[in-house]
Amino acid sequence: MFYAEPDQVEYMDSGFLLDLSELNWAAVEPWAKEAWMYKGKPYGLPLEAWTVELYYNKKMLDELGVKLPDNLQLSPDAFLDMVKKAKAKGITPMSLGAGDRPFTGAHLVHEALLKKLGVEDYSKLLAGKLAWTDPRVVETLTWIRSLTDAGLLPATFTTMKLAEAHIYFHTNPGALTFLNGSWYTSRAFNPVDKGGQPEDFQLGIMQFPSVPGAVCNECRTIAVGGSYVANAETEHKAEVIKFLNSFLSPEVGNEWLENVKVQTGIKSDPSKMNDKQASEYFAMIAKTNAGAKYHFGLPIQVMTGKPKEVFTQVFNNAFPAGNISVEDAVKQMDAAN
Amino acid sequence: MPVLTRTLVLLALSLYTAFAAGPFVWAAMLSLRTTTEIHLNHFAFPNPAHWEKFPDAWYNSNYATYFMNSIEVVIAAVVVLTIVGAMAAHCLARYRFRLNRVIYFILFSTIIFPPQITIIALFQILVNYGLYNSKLGLTLVYVALQLPLTIYILESFFARLPADLFDAARMDGYSDWEIFWKVSLPIALPAVATTVILNFILLWNEFLFAVVLITDEANRTLPLGIQRFIGDTQEDIGMIATGLMIAIVPVIIVYAFFSEKLIQGMTAGAVK
Amino acid sequence: MPAFRAKELKGDVRQPWGTIVAFLLPALTFYVALTAYPAIRTLWNSFHRVLPRREEFVGIANYSELIKDEIFWKAVSNTVTWACISPVIEVTVALLLALALYAKVPGARFFRVAWFTPVLMSYIVVGILWMWIYNYDWGPLNTLLRAIGLGALAQPWLGSPDTALGALILVTSWMWVGFNMVVLLAALHSLPKDVIEAAELDNCGWSAKLVFVIIPLIRATLLNLVVLSFIGKMKIFDLVWITTKGNPLWSTETVSTYVYKRAFEWTTFDLGYPSTIATVWFVIVLATVLLLTWLFRTREKLEY
Repeated sequence: MFYAEPDQVEYMDSGFLLDLSELNWAAVEPWAKEAWMYKGKPYGLPLEAWTVELYYNKKMLDELGVKLPDNLQLSPDAFLDMVKKAKAKGITPMSLGAGDRPFTGAHLVHEALLKKLGVEDYSKLLAGKLAWTDPRVVETLTWIRSLTDAGLLPATFTTMKLAEAHIYFHTNPGALTFLNGSWYTSRAFNPVDKGGQPEDFQLGIMQFPSVPGAVCNECRTIAVGGSYVANAETEHKAEVIKFLNSFLSPEVGNEWLENVKVQTGIKSDPSKMNDKQASEYFAMIAKTNAGAKYHFGLPIQVMTGKPKEVFTQVFNNAFPAGNISVEDAVKQMDAAN
Repeated sequence: MPVLTRTLVLLALSLYTAFAAGPFVWAAMLSLRTTTEIHLNHFAFPNPAHWEKFPDAWYNSNYATYFMNSIEVVIAAVVVLTIVGAMAAHCLARYRFRLNRVIYFILFSTIIFPPQITIIALFQILVNYGLYNSKLGLTLVYVALQLPLTIYILESFFARLPADLFDAARMDGYSDWEIFWKVSLPIALPAVATTVILNFILLWNEFLFAVVLITDEANRTLPLGIQRFIGDTQEDIGMIATGLMIAIVPVIIVYAFFSEKLIQGMTAGAVK
Repeated sequence: MPAFRAKELKGDVRQPWGTIVAFLLPALTFYVALTAYPAIRTLWNSFHRVLPRREEFVGIANYSELIKDEIFWKAVSNTVTWACISPVIEVTVALLLALALYAKVPGARFFRVAWFTPVLMSYIVVGILWMWIYNYDWGPLNTLLRAIGLGALAQPWLGSPDTALGALILVTSWMWVGFNMVVLLAALHSLPKDVIEAAELDNCGWSAKLVFVIIPLIRATLLNLVVLSFIGKMKIFDLVWITTKGNPLWSTETVSTYVYKRAFEWTTFDLGYPSTIATVWFVIVLATVLLLTWLFRTREKLEY
């Protein structure tokens, strides 16, 4: 038994992995099973997973007089309105940095594209089978450009490091929202002098705004990480199944969430957690993820070679910063494919 | 020169000095303040001066490990470099044989090699021989890296020694090895000291080969350690500054003791 | 070592092959194993696709791909620009500083030490320091600009494609001016005193004396420094890697960072293509160094 990640398709191709259909899949989140499906059978049990969430400062949002709808998803107009209100008060609407990671800046673009295109066409786009000059892609990028032109991102976006972006959001100078992976907690829930959020910080999570003309506003990206897989040649098949099944209870799920503070494939029950902060937090996560349609993997996990390099330079860094126009950006991506 | 010009020149020079030394002074100040203090005002004087940050960085982050790895690798490499380089330089300088200048030229010309021409293959070679990600592997690569420069500096020094010295020693029945060890080396001590200092400083700061050939946390040298540190820490500017100071200290010490020699050595090849 | 002794006593020291080999062997072993062989192997790699478990011969496919690779050419353009601009700045400023010290300005010793220090620092330390200096919100550079009313010029220096490369060039200049200055000062001090005294400086002839007397005398040193600086910038990696890694939009991508990325960060796991880049680059560096040396050597001959 060992730890692997779902993009290591070579293992399944070569028949190295044990078919895990016999596990108690009822106790596992449906998306977790799907992540490891290969030719109709599941081969891994995902322990780690994370989504991209739009965190926000509840107090600041109230002070700006913005109310979120019940499904926590602002319409494009309402979102732009919120951005303008924040800017008028001298607050940066969204903290985001591309200084030291090749994927953080791109969250803005890929979540929007995913919603506009839906899972299937989005996958085609990333695989180079759909042109970036497709009008839907251009419309989405133009919409994002209108947001960044309105001052959505900090001026230091291109050089701001991940850790700095956290601090920018919750401590100094304080931003309205923060678009980040749900492992936000691994830094923010630390003590304040280790870079954690202030004691009285009111954290909220809202949905990424709906995208004009989108086909799937409930689509979101999920990145599945470390998972348990087993050697197909094992002589201890029964023990493997038993061992893995022992993980599959809400109690273990809760324990994972409370200690690791990132999502897991195991179904859990936030209401039964001991840690109040974790309990509230995962209730929020559960709410934003309810009814979601997932696309597995970030663009940089799915792409390789030249397209990946160009995507990283253009959409993680240059495009959100306003350093490259929509036309040039899509031209470069198509040329790379 | 006239007083006005002199004052203007002094002013320009002082400005330049502020430009040259300013960053370090600032870093030193930052290293003695906590990150919370820094976020309030990036330019204040340390008050109070938190000397305890230094032992803290040393013991609680992996600085001790990185520092000791650098010490091991660099000292080992410099020792081997000095001996092997001196032997080769002595030979090339004092013995006439047909391939002498050819070998000298080949060794010398590798100084202009861009590291990329060897690094990928070195990666493959070390992996094949199980030396990848090991301090021994890195040490061997460092020796090869600095050999050309070492031999160049020592050869020109050995070549200037008077022939009578060696003739006299031969008359006294000294073997070749004894001539090298007991006559050449002691006299060449200044040049040897120069190469030792040069190699120490260049290898202490070396980054590219280290980052390609070492991936294990336990084997990281100091430059790698610092780089990881800034990636991983929770934007702890104060701690990073303290770490930078720790990295700079050995070099400053070497420099303070040997500044004259060092400058002489580094400029020896460049001044014609 | 009785065999060697026997040779000496016979008075024949011209070709003591045993000794020669013994002295040279360690150095040559290192050289062949860890410098010559790798260089040749890189050349070999450049004609193959080098994957984790196998190699495929592809002839000149890598080379033809390289010609069409825009990222490569952008990297070359950046690196060559850097290698051409830096020496000019570094040597000119250094010369001015050296002349100032030579003219016996007080505090010379202190200045010399202060200016030489940046040279000793690892590029990593330098990179981190300057990332802080260039920081948009609180870095000393922007703070200073805002304090003197030039706040409009403040920008994310390392984050904008137009300024990033220039910002890095400034950093390397900051590092190396001190080194060049010390060398030039030594060169100035070694000039024959009577020549200098004969060309004693008076107000109107100052620059003329400089151009026609002093500079020609130290021409060799100046050119040496220019070539050294040029070679150094053609190889540069550490500084870029710790600060921008080639961003934004490849404006700071150098050949060395591109080689590293293709070899170790593109998930294609092919070591052949980066070997091709390395080989081509080696040829370019060699050619330019030979060209520079030839150019300057010829001019020297014409002078004297």
